Amino acid sequence: MTTLQTPPNETERVDTMTPPSPRRPKVGRWILFGVMVVIAVVMLYPFWVMIATSLQSATQFLSGGGFSWLSWSTLTSVIPVGQEVLSSTIVCSASIALILAVGLPAGFAFSKLRYRASGMVFLIMVSAMMVPLQAILMPEYVNVTKLGLTGGYLGAILVYAALGTPFSIFLFSTYFRGVPDELIEAGIVDGLGYFGALWRLVVPIAIPAIATVTVLQFIQIWDDLLVGLLFIQNTNERPITVGLAILAAGRTTSIPALMAGSLISALPAMIVYLIFQRYLVKGLTMGIDR
Amino acid sequence: MAEIDFDSVTKVFAGGKPAVDELSLHINDGEFMVLVGPSGCGKTTALRMLAGLEEITSGTLKIGGSVVNNTLPKDRDVAMVFQNYALYPHMSVAKNIGFALKIRGDSKSEIKRKVDEAAAILRLEDYLDRRPKALSGGQRQRVAMGRAIVRSPQAFLMDEPLSNLDAKLRVEMRLEIARIQRLLNVATVYVTHDQVEAMTMGDRVAVMKDGKLQQVDTPQDLYDRPANEFVAGFMGSPPMNLLPCQIHPGADRVEVHFGEQVVELPLSYVDSHDLPPAGADVVLGVRPEDVLITDAGVANTIKTRVERSEALGSEILVHLSHADALDTSLSAGERLRLDFSRRATLIAKLGPRTKVTVGDVLSVQISPEHAHFFDAQSGETLRKKSS
Repeated sequence: MTTLQTPPNETERVDTMTPPSPRRPKVGRWILFGVMVVIAVVMLYPFWVMIATSLQSATQFLSGGGFSWLSWSTLTSVIPVGQEVLSSTIVCSASIALILAVGLPAGFAFSKLRYRASGMVFLIMVSAMMVPLQAILMPEYVNVTKLGLTGGYLGAILVYAALGTPFSIFLFSTYFRGVPDELIEAGIVDGLGYFGALWRLVVPIAIPAIATVTVLQFIQIWDDLLVGLLFIQNTNERPITVGLAILAAGRTTSIPALMAGSLISALPAMIVYLIFQRYLVKGLTMGIDR
Repeated sequence: MAEIDFDSVTKVFAGGKPAVDELSLHINDGEFMVLVGPSGCGKTTALRMLAGLEEITSGTLKIGGSVVNNTLPKDRDVAMVFQNYALYPHMSVAKNIGFALKIRGDSKSEIKRKVDEAAAILRLEDYLDRRPKALSGGQRQRVAMGRAIVRSPQAFLMDEPLSNLDAKLRVEMRLEIARIQRLLNVATVYVTHDQVEAMTMGDRVAVMKDGKLQQVDTPQDLYDRPANEFVAGFMGSPPMNLLPCQIHPGADRVEVHFGEQVVELPLSYVDSHDLPPAGADVVLGVRPEDVLITDAGVANTIKTRVERSEALGSEILVHLSHADALDTSLSAGERLRLDFSRRATLIAKLGPRTKVTVGDVLSVQISPEHAHFFDAQSGETLRKKSS
């Protein structure tokens, strides 16, 4: 009688041939862990200082110990924190909405539509990224003043949108180049126009790029002082960064109150970053694998 | 459902030669027309012009009798299946299939009914809630088909829809697409570079090369009566053997000279072909299955040497060279050099159990009824149109 022999298990054989070396990976992991801890400490230490300092009175801060909510009540009595956070939120949201509203169609057009001199127009548009705000501040200010928009939010919103749009066009056009033409053509044959294809087919799959633009622009606009200071002159519409600058520039600056204000100012940017961080890496590394 | 008419349609891309050159082609209502040709022959451009995705440089394109040169894709009422399926990745299978109906403004109940119908035809009922990335290649292909058929369009346009599938699945889907097309009886234009797909699926096949239409015919007629050397060489696997030779029409037979070797063919070729005068160069075409191995010493044969053989299971393809096959005056060194450099000029399709080895000298006969003659310069067939 013939008997069938079971072939030796391939996986087992490989395992016995290459015995695991337990030391090397463990050492590597501990070194990596140590480096990560050091980086985390360096990154988190300023936040710890902010939190700890904000929970002291000015006297306690100078003496180096104690706990008090006084600085928070000082802060709210000196500057209208709620109003300023709301102003920053309005300016940020409106600017980002404008950047997305312009950047998405422009990025789509540059990446997917063929027309004369599109490459040159794209180059000119994107080269605006290299112009720093300080270099064009004076003409910007003159233009916005002539338009009568220096009082409230609108002037600042337009300036932020103008500064952020070239980057968003660059990012979106890079992202959209990775979207197959066939997908858009399928939508067009199915009955969509170009705008329909953009909003209904391309935007839903461009979430990482939209998140990247949103986070980076939010952090930039939220933290900016210069534009808010120059273009929002109504005191009841000024953003939080201007409020903190005024607090810092006072004759008697309360460091704990300033830290409390800084903490309030830093939190929204951190929250936005944490919400969108999973898209951020994908958005920033897109195109690398092609 | 509608007829499609290409009338001298030309497409020239900026700064280039015509991608499609004066294409005139009529596709009947319900017909399955295959556009076939090598890469860059203009078949996909022709399809994209029909879909409205490329502008037409000149000529007239009609769908259902209406000129559509300047009609937007969405107003042409055609459905297209793309090479990479182009499924919407953020939508479920059901939403993918029903998307065109939603844009058209159909009611939700109507969309559901039509999606369910299409899913039943395509056997996709169990996958309607899945996203495209959770489907296999064959299932994705069926969803792409579903998206097309659900619209009940005037015409289906398919751009190499099977090229991303493995060989086995391709055969299955080939039958599936043909089945659905017959079921729905909608004019279909199917683009492929695979001549097997063209032969097996098309009611008629249009062969293109360098933007020009070479021949339109039923698959069998294309195979049996190719209009030129290109069609003869493109259709059929392995392709037709094309052998340069001199022709000598005689009183009772046609002599074909391959160098020193001579083959005689029946006189009927003189009536059915416009053969050139005696001694003129022509190209003889013969299908691999029409190259017959005979015993040594039989008259009217060519001596050949086996250069290599490919056993495909159901048949053996034998590559033969006919020049110097019998040259015994060569030295051993020269013969060895020839063994490496000799070019096979003839492929014979033999039965699976034929015993041949490399170096064998074989006598082969050309099936007397199935020879083709082409003009040596233009490559056009010498067969008379009436025959």
